[in-house]
Amino acid sequence: MKPATILIVDDEEHIRLLFKEELEDEGYTVDLASNGLDALDKLKRSAYSVIVLDIKMPGMDGIQTLAEIKKINKDQPVILCSAYGEFKQDFASWVSDGYIVKSADTRELKEMIRRVSGV
Amino acid sequence: MDSVNILGKVIEISHSNLEIASRIEAILNILAHEMHIEEAALYTLDKDKRLSCRFMNRTSRLFGILSGYRCHVGEGVVGTVAQKRVPQYFTSRNVPPRFGCLFYADLDGATDRYKAFAFLPLSDDSFVYGVLLLCSSGRETIVDSEKIVLSIISRELGGILHTYDLLVSSKKRISELATLSELGRVLTSATEPHLLLQNIATITAKSFNAAFTTIKLAHSFVRLDFQRFTSGEIDAAIEGPLRDLESEALRLRRATSLGDHPLEAAPNGGRLALYCTPILSKDRVLGTITFCKKSEQQLAMEEDDQYLVSAVANYISSGLETSFLNTKLRDVLKELGDAQKRVIEHEKLRSLGEMTASIAHEIRNPLVIIGGFTKRLARQVQIDEKDNRYIEIIIGEVARLETILNEILDYVKDTPLLQEPCNANSLLDEILYLLASDKIWERVRIVKGYQAELPSVVCDVHQIKQVFINIILNAFQAMGGGGTLTVRTEKALYQDRSCVKVSVADTGGGIDPSLLDNIFNPFFTTKERGTGLGLAISNKIVMHHDGHIEVRNRAGEGATFGIYLPINSKTQTREG
Repeated sequence: MKPATILIVDDEEHIRLLFKEELEDEGYTVDLASNGLDALDKLKRSAYSVIVLDIKMPGMDGIQTLAEIKKINKDQPVILCSAYGEFKQDFASWVSDGYIVKSADTRELKEMIRRVSGV
Repeated sequence: MDSVNILGKVIEISHSNLEIASRIEAILNILAHEMHIEEAALYTLDKDKRLSCRFMNRTSRLFGILSGYRCHVGEGVVGTVAQKRVPQYFTSRNVPPRFGCLFYADLDGATDRYKAFAFLPLSDDSFVYGVLLLCSSGRETIVDSEKIVLSIISRELGGILHTYDLLVSSKKRISELATLSELGRVLTSATEPHLLLQNIATITAKSFNAAFTTIKLAHSFVRLDFQRFTSGEIDAAIEGPLRDLESEALRLRRATSLGDHPLEAAPNGGRLALYCTPILSKDRVLGTITFCKKSEQQLAMEEDDQYLVSAVANYISSGLETSFLNTKLRDVLKELGDAQKRVIEHEKLRSLGEMTASIAHEIRNPLVIIGGFTKRLARQVQIDEKDNRYIEIIIGEVARLETILNEILDYVKDTPLLQEPCNANSLLDEILYLLASDKIWERVRIVKGYQAELPSVVCDVHQIKQVFINIILNAFQAMGGGGTLTVRTEKALYQDRSCVKVSVADTGGGIDPSLLDNIFNPFFTTKERGTGLGLAISNKIVMHHDGHIEVRNRAGEGATFGIYLPINSKTQTREG
């Protein structure tokens, strides 16, 4: 079975690196984007099982990016991942599939990816 | 008799600077001496229209008898002369049996030796002020020329008495004005009701020369700690009659009096009179003011005094109204000030919160990176036990920082409340079960005092759970892991709203009283490793529910936290 491919979208280079390595350890193929436009660009060229999307990013922020992603593919699974806990209640209205507060403990993130991607 | 000489002396004295009483006595002495008359006595007309014998010449013997009695206008010879304003002259042969109110028999042995009697009205054109009584034993009659002199002198004496009356009444008016102005000063200067009433009692007691003055507030109108304000001492023997009189005045809504009450406890067997007036304000009875007078003074309240008393009562009523309005105004202003303070505090916290939030967010990314990669290191690198311990410490500290950030952000964010009914008993059971299943709770005895059939509270269960956990964990930590934790639930009132009250009591020795005011402030902590946000968040959550958290110190024992949660939240009531 082809391993699931994950797209990490975050403006922080080291966050991208951390998540990439953590997820690759789990057997996922990981692609990276450093901002919203970059992410949309990549999405047009390849398909992803799950997109992990930061919210606070310069230029196009995560919520705007999310809307654009859904325009391209309304069934695209997206997990919002942010340093802000206070938007947690709102994620349902943003039609994302999950909301996670960034943590050094990546178990919750992995668990959510497993659930959302079904892999 | 040298008429000119007598009249000259009399007029000289009459217009002298001597005191009124001295003037009258001097004239009576001149009369007696110059006209060879043994008895020269002067009756004055009192306010109650009775005549009493007040002055006499130096050698008078009758005065001792006469001064003991008073007579009405029209009664006896004295009364008739005062009424008809016509002089009457008698000899021992035709003197009537009654001088004044006295029967002849009372004067037996005293009047027998007198042969000539004269009764002269002391009056001016419009008013009679008294009666002059002359008795002589040395003379058979009083001749016409003497009668003319006597009528002139009696006019003069009438004038003196008139002056005296004017003087007395103007003195009285001045004292009344002084009293009223002093009352006015008190009313404008004292804003505290109890101070106001105490001052009024003192001033009026002095002004009425009362043994005591006492102001009692009606039961229906007691908003003060004290009900009675007294100047002077209320004798134990008079307390009962005083209370009866006060209730009577309250019931009748008019002045009542109790005259000449024998006072058994008084050292000299004194007698007291009470005069009580209700204090009325529009349609309400605020209370009563009572004056007590001693018997040596005049017992009855004169008509003039009654006016003054009712003026005083009016002063008190308006003073109380003003004072209560002032108090109300002050309370409202204080409330307003408090509200303003809360708004400012809230604003401060909000901006502090916003700043904190942004710092917290900035910190989170680097923290996640440090922690995340350290974890990877721990998994991947072969290291010795010591290094491994260091890495564990880094991971542990990062986790702690993350917890702190979460708490800070929890405090900062204003989460909308999810309203659902919640049974505090079950929620507490659930929490206590979870917490106590931990081994570190082994040495804690949990005592539950739940009220059966406790009503549900409509609340955000998740948030309220957080509050209960916070407070129970605080109690646990205060006891150093061992002691008795008592959790009670009951129905209670907070600010007139039905609430469920949850009390959590520990045996951890209590909170330093100097810290009590601060324990709900954000970032205030006594724990070595605390953010100081636990109680602040709890307090905020409970306040969002229109509830209240209180802390009580049980000295030397521990602290009790009381959490009041309204059974129906305001939002719920508005919608429902």
